[in-house]
Amino acid sequence: MIKRRPHLLWLLVPFVLYVGALPFVNRVRPLVLGLPFLFAWLLAATLVTPVAVWLAYRGDKNTRRRVS
Amino acid sequence: MNATIATSIFAVFMVATVGLGLLAVRGRRAGDAESSPKGALAEWSVGGRSLGTVLIWVLMAGEGYTSFSYLGAAGWGYNYGAPVLYVVAYMSCGYAVGYVVGPMLWAYARRHGLVGITDMVAHRYGRPWLGAAVAVMVTVFLLPYIQLQITGMGVVVSTISYGAISLNWAYFIGFAVTTGFVVVSGLRGSAWVSVLKDVLVIGTLAFLVVYVPLHYFDGYGDFLDRVVREKGDWLTLPGSGNSPYGQAWFATTTFLNALTVVIFPTTVAGYLGARSADGLRRNAVLLPAYNILLFVPMLLGMAALFVVPGLTGAGSNLALFKLVVDSLPAWVVGLVGVAAALSSIVPMAVFMLVIGTMWGRSVLSLLPALRAPARQKRASQTVVVVAGALALVMTYAAPNTLVRLSLISYEGMAQLLPMLLLGLVWRRLTLVGAVSGLVVGVAIVCGLVFTERDPVFGVNAGIVALAANLAVALAVSYAGPADRDTRPDGEVLARDPADEDLGDGPDEGVTPAPGGAPAAGRR
Repeated sequence: MIKRRPHLLWLLVPFVLYVGALPFVNRVRPLVLGLPFLFAWLLAATLVTPVAVWLAYRGDKNTRRRVS
Repeated sequence: MNATIATSIFAVFMVATVGLGLLAVRGRRAGDAESSPKGALAEWSVGGRSLGTVLIWVLMAGEGYTSFSYLGAAGWGYNYGAPVLYVVAYMSCGYAVGYVVGPMLWAYARRHGLVGITDMVAHRYGRPWLGAAVAVMVTVFLLPYIQLQITGMGVVVSTISYGAISLNWAYFIGFAVTTGFVVVSGLRGSAWVSVLKDVLVIGTLAFLVVYVPLHYFDGYGDFLDRVVREKGDWLTLPGSGNSPYGQAWFATTTFLNALTVVIFPTTVAGYLGARSADGLRRNAVLLPAYNILLFVPMLLGMAALFVVPGLTGAGSNLALFKLVVDSLPAWVVGLVGVAAALSSIVPMAVFMLVIGTMWGRSVLSLLPALRAPARQKRASQTVVVVAGALALVMTYAAPNTLVRLSLISYEGMAQLLPMLLLGLVWRRLTLVGAVSGLVVGVAIVCGLVFTERDPVFGVNAGIVALAANLAVALAVSYAGPADRDTRPDGEVLARDPADEDLGDGPDEGVTPAPGGAPAAGRR
């Protein structure tokens, strides 16, 4: 599946952001717009996730167009 | 006076909810029971597999955003701080997993005319009794969830009515309103009630997130400043107050729940209701955006630390509502209360619907008298009322704090992952292997959770159980004899309809149950 649809790897992005990055982002400072760093990071991750899933979706769309 | 205003608003909206739920299926009745009795259960359980992207989005967002988000999330934010963000983390990751799993389950169910996970398990392993056994187990995990929603609704309603509606009556209202529409209108009705719910939830939270810092603090700058200065403990993992929820717990819980949420029976009901696989994929793109809302109650819970310090135990669950009642006029309190109440009602409706469907389709249908498809729907509807009533009685007899119960349900449900998901993609997994794994996994979850050993060694107990579950399932499958099942792989296994698109398969979305083109040549 991954071989034919490599763009599905985009779906791992949220796991990297929420889980993989955890040891590096578990801190209060630096503040981002007044927000503690961990909260700012997770908020950013929440905004990035739809984009990552969309990239997977776009990949599927393109592949389908190429096949048919 | 306050009590009258808030209670009236609440009452009007509850009547409107039942009305909306019932109206949702008007005009669709003609097509179901009479002309095609076979479709009756599917029409009710999974909305005739015909819900569009918007309704599915609203429904699935509605299921994800439960009364826990108002109460438990604010309570955890109040007690511990950062660990509560695991909810946002696993939901986001779960939607990414759902991008692949959702269409796969959708296509499998559509091809074989299935209406739920117990049905899928029975079909995959060719054993109706297995579907029944899984249905019983899943019911045990879901009942606490219904109870959780009833309890959540109860405390909200009694708080926002300024005590005019007692807890016990509030519990009953929650049960009555939910049963009132779901018995008749099923998944479609739940989706329409979700529309009302989402409008109110988004509206009230957007308002609160602006209003509370301005009312109690000098705006956001001041609020955040004070949090950072005085409540530093709350802002990183493991959080405040000897919280056992450190990084390892956060990571394992996020991972486990992200996988579990895609096979959670209520999520699957949403998947199966979709009109097309592509609609589900579009949803997986759009749904994570809804998670932004989850930050709000948690933030407000932390604001409550300054305003109403000293809440303990179950009282901390009311962190958000203490602020609302304390600072806003009665009609706004009423609206916020309705939003929170609907956040209980929608998930509760889908939980009851799923339990009803499982029993009607997988358990009671084993009785010859109830095998006919038309009877299955009637039986399912009866079970809905029984399950709801049972949860209501449990609420009166054995109330408990919110979060623990839902964690047990989740960790238990996670143990179905090998049997269901692995089973659907890997033919070699045997019936005996899958069942042994499940038994071991559930036993470990119960053992650890009931002896208060969750988290265990700092990680989520469910993931320990899942590892053992998987190991046993694989070992038994490899060591034991293969299942004697003569059906071809295409009959038994699931595949992502997108992969089929890329091959020589039929167009996705129009793969009918019996006439589906044989899957030969694509393996």
